[in-house]
Parts: sequence; structure tokens; C-alpha cells
Amino acid sequence: MTNERNAVCTIPLSGRVDSANAAAVERDIAEKRAGHTGPVVLDAADLTYISSAGLRVILRLKKTCPDLAVVNVSPDVYDIFDVTGFTEMMRVERAYRTVSVEGCEVIGEGYNGKVYRIDRDTVIKTYKNAEAPDDIRRERELAKLALVLGVPTAISYDVVRVGDGYGSVFELLDARSFSDILAKEPEKMDLCVAEYVAILKKLHAIHAPAGKLPSIRQKTLSAVARTAAHLPEELGRKLMKMAEAIPESDCLVHGDCHTKNVMWAGGETLLIDMDTLSVGHPVFEFLHMYNAYRGYSEYDPGEILRFQGYDQATADRFWHKTLVAYFGTNDEAKINAVEDKIRCLSYAYLYDWKCLFPSGDARRDEAERGLWFSRLLPLLERVDTLTFDVPVPERADELTVAAKEECLPEVTDFIGERLQKAGCPPKTVMQIDLAVEEVFVNIAHYAYAPGTGDVTVRALCAPDEKTLTLTFIDGGRPYDPLSKADPDVTLTADEREIGGLGIFLTKKVMDGVGYAFENGHNILTLQKKW
Amino acid sequence: MTINKTKNGGALTIAPAGRLDTLTAPELEKELQTSLPGVTELTFDLSALEYISSAGLRVLLSAQKAMNARGKMIVRGVNETVMEIFEVTGFADILTIE
Repeated sequence: MTNERNAVCTIPLSGRVDSANAAAVERDIAEKRAGHTGPVVLDAADLTYISSAGLRVILRLKKTCPDLAVVNVSPDVYDIFDVTGFTEMMRVERAYRTVSVEGCEVIGEGYNGKVYRIDRDTVIKTYKNAEAPDDIRRERELAKLALVLGVPTAISYDVVRVGDGYGSVFELLDARSFSDILAKEPEKMDLCVAEYVAILKKLHAIHAPAGKLPSIRQKTLSAVARTAAHLPEELGRKLMKMAEAIPESDCLVHGDCHTKNVMWAGGETLLIDMDTLSVGHPVFEFLHMYNAYRGYSEYDPGEILRFQGYDQATADRFWHKTLVAYFGTNDEAKINAVEDKIRCLSYAYLYDWKCLFPSGDARRDEAERGLWFSRLLPLLERVDTLTFDVPVPERADELTVAAKEECLPEVTDFIGERLQKAGCPPKTVMQIDLAVEEVFVNIAHYAYAPGTGDVTVRALCAPDEKTLTLTFIDGGRPYDPLSKADPDVTLTADEREIGGLGIFLTKKVMDGVGYAFENGHNILTLQKKW
Repeated sequence: MTINKTKNGGALTIAPAGRLDTLTAPELEKELQTSLPGVTELTFDLSALEYISSAGLRVLLSAQKAMNARGKMIVRGVNETVMEIFEVTGFADILTIE
């Protein structure tokens, strides 16, 4: 299972490795590794025992190969690695559960592999590449971060073996991709556009914390610079100058937000495939959206049907309606101007993509690069800037205060201001106030006691949908207030205990309450419609 | 919140106005501690009360428990918003609301 010089060199270990055969195993490893300079992975799937002589072989290998990892380790053998401290020295991974997808419904196919539905609530996304477990873990971290930031998404909860590849297991409640809906029920186009634009705006309105996510601007600028080097000098300079003028931004962007990655699940829109989650100006989001709906298929018209499952006319309509709804204008001139900017970046990106990943058919690749060039050049003549004002109405507002009773008015005012702007009726404001007080005071009294700490309150007010979503995040002891039994409200005054009504009232006055403990934080969400 | 009170022999009327919440409930509690001794008929006039949270309910329940032992307690002037809170929490049944 070894390919190129720098690729991962996977070497199987099997049976017992002890003083009787350690020298032979070491020779065998050296032979298999000959000519490789990349990382080495020891596949311990069939390894039943390893003695200290065997461990010394691995230790010597580690010296010449710092990237060494041992994978597919059975529980017994893992104990040996653990007790001897090897798990601290190198990556030692337990064997994965094996899942068969034979006969399971294929519900999607992505860049990495197929997506199967194992049962009603579980899907497995398969990967062929050997680095899959790392990719899956990375994506899981990004999805967790997205969820904490308020993006509805699905989080993988297990990595399994599927055949000779890997699978990432997700819980997905009866979800359908927007691609599937558009393909089978084109009459739902407007509904899909509305949901799609709402989630895009929601995403782009979120401040991402510094240093946690890659900058999509940096990544795109590198691609643009490589393309610009091939352009006529003056136009290349112009392109670079315009691209560099796009400001850094802490907006959250998905990075691959097309309709296959947007799911409709039981009344809620979810974004999946978080591996490209980044920060940056939304123009970069639109770059990849354009490519998904139009760019790739401009060279290969069959691409859209193969990839999204609907035809080009549907893709064109969906894209155009998305621009109209996102930018809030029907003015064709404005839409065209925005689209020109997006297309400049799209073609620069596609040109670079083709240079980085040639198909092997030189004539075909030449023709494709030629097309991106011929599309890009006239745009560069007429476009003077690549930025646009992001019509995100308001950022996802956030307030961090000390978890102390006396900060309650600050929190109430912060939310009240937004509700007033959104035209929320006074009675509902009062109910929301009540829930906010109960939740905040609860945190102030119990989360950090007897110490102190902060609470972050996030308010997402969607005036069009007449909905407020509040999130309270604290780093105190894990506590799910919703798990507490409701008080018996039929008892007499003398029978009743003082207190215990706060969370009960919160549940009564709000339309939805939810609790999660993620990354060491209590996350309580409240929703109210009016 | 402001608290108006009128005392007439063993009858005490307390009229909290504004918001009865976590931050203001302790004031009302203190007021009751001072004024309640000797009172046999306690009336809460809530006509100027705009808002009540569980902290306010707590004070009302303590007062009700105290008055059960030595007289009666009446609540009046309850507006619609406050009444809803009384209803969902079962306070509509344990308080004597006029």
C-alpha cells in the first residue's frame, strides 16, 4: 500500500511481535519503507501482541521517522502501548468499529466518497484516503465550533471502518439536501431560496473568534496571485490590487455553501461539510457558490446535473434569486455589478485550480484554462473593485458580562433594544424579559459559585421571521437546568416550597428551550416567535 | 420599583409599582419583615405592577404562608400579564385574587 515517495507509507504488522521475530519484522519494515521519505503508518489491525523487543523496533523507527503513527490497534495491544507510555510519544489509534454499508441507500456523493443512510437516524459519509481519520477529526472540531457559534449543523460522533476506507458517522433526522428538493420539487424553489439566504445571512452575521479558523482571504489571494502571474502584466496587477483591497473580515463563511451542503431537517435548515469553514468577506463565499452553480459547468455543461442533480436552468434561477434575496434588490444593474465582481474571483480561482490539479489530458486542460482566461479578461477591463457592502443587516449581537445579579439590567437592555427595533409587541418583550431574568440569575447564582466568571449572551433577532433566538454561554460547572423536574403547581400555599419556579416559567413563556454542554461550556438556547 | 403602603390598624395595603424582579424583590421582602408584625389582613394592590419574575413570586408565597398562620391575604388589581404568570405557576389558585 505504498505509492509515491512523499505519500504516507502504510506497513502492516501482524500476529505476535516479540524477541523471536523482532529482527525479522524490523528488516521487513526497512524493506517496505525503502525509497519513502514521507510519514509512516503502522497498521496494527492484525497485531495480537507486542513485547518490549517489538516496542524497541518501533522506537528505533520513530527516530528516523518523526511522523510515525500506529493505527487500528486492538484494545489489548493498545493497553501495552498505553502502559509503556508510547501513546504519549506518538499517535496510537485504537481500531475502528467496522460498519457495512452493503445494501444501504446512497443519499449523496461528495468529493471524498459516497454518503449512506444506515438507518433512519444515522448516515455514514465514506472516505477512501488514508488521512481520513485526521480529516474527520478536523471537520468535527470545526463543526463543533460552528455549533457553538450558533450555526445549525450536524456533528460526526464516530469514526468507523467501511471496507478498506473510513466512515464518519452522523445522526441526521430525516434530512434532505436542497439539491434533492430542487431536483424533485422545483415548485419549492422560492422556499429553498428563502431558507438558503436566511442561513447565509445568519452565518455571515456571526463574528468568529480570532485565531480559530483559517482566513479564506489569504487562501484565495494566493490562488489569485498565481493566476495574476499568467495574465497580461497590467491586468494581472489590477486583479491583484483589487483582490488585496478586499478587507480582512471576521465573518464566518462556509467556503463550499452549495445546495448539496444545505439540508432540510424537520423544519430546520442545517449546514453540513464544515471542513472548509473559514473567516472572511462574504465575496469569497459567493466565489465558491458561483463555481458550484455556474463556473464548473461553463466548461462542462453536464457537470451541474451530475453534481447537483438538477439542470442548468434550475441552477441559474436559484443563483439569480439568491443574489436578489441576499442583496435585497431587484435592480438588474446592481445584481450584474455584484456578479461581475464574484466572477472575477471565480475565474481567477478556476484557472488556478486547473493549474494545480490538471486532469492529465493536456489539450483538455489547456482549453479549460483558455476558457477561464477569456472570461476573466473582459471582466478585468470593466470591474474596478471586488468588494461590496455586505448587506448583512446586523451582526449576531453578543454581550459578555460578569455572571452577577447586578448585570441583569445590562443584559435586559441589550436584548430589549433589539426587540424594539424588530417591532416585537410589548407583551412578548415582557415574556422574553422574564425568561432572560430567570436564566441569567440562575447562572449568576449557581454556575461559578462560590467563584466568579462570565456569561456570553447572543441575540439573533430576525425581524422578517419575527423570531428571537437567545444563547447563554457560561464556562461554569456542567448543569442542565432543563433536566430539573417541573414543580407541582397544584399544591396549596403551605405545601409549596419557596423557589424552583424560574426555569419552569422560562419553559412556559418561550417557544423553545435547549441545553447542550460543549467544549466545557453550558449552552442554553431560548427561542421566541411573535 | 416603588412601594406604597397604607396601614389601618391590623390592615396593611402594600402597592408595589413597576418591576418586581430579582433586583427589587429583596426591598419588598424587607418592607414586609418590618411592617408585617401585628398585621391580620394583608392586601397587595398590584394595579401598578408591570412585571413579576420568580423572585417576586417567592416573596408573595412567603407572605401567603405567613398570613395563613395569622389572618388573611388578598391580592387585587392584577393586570393581564401578571395574571398569566399567576396562572401558569398555579399562584392563581393559592392566592386570593379579587
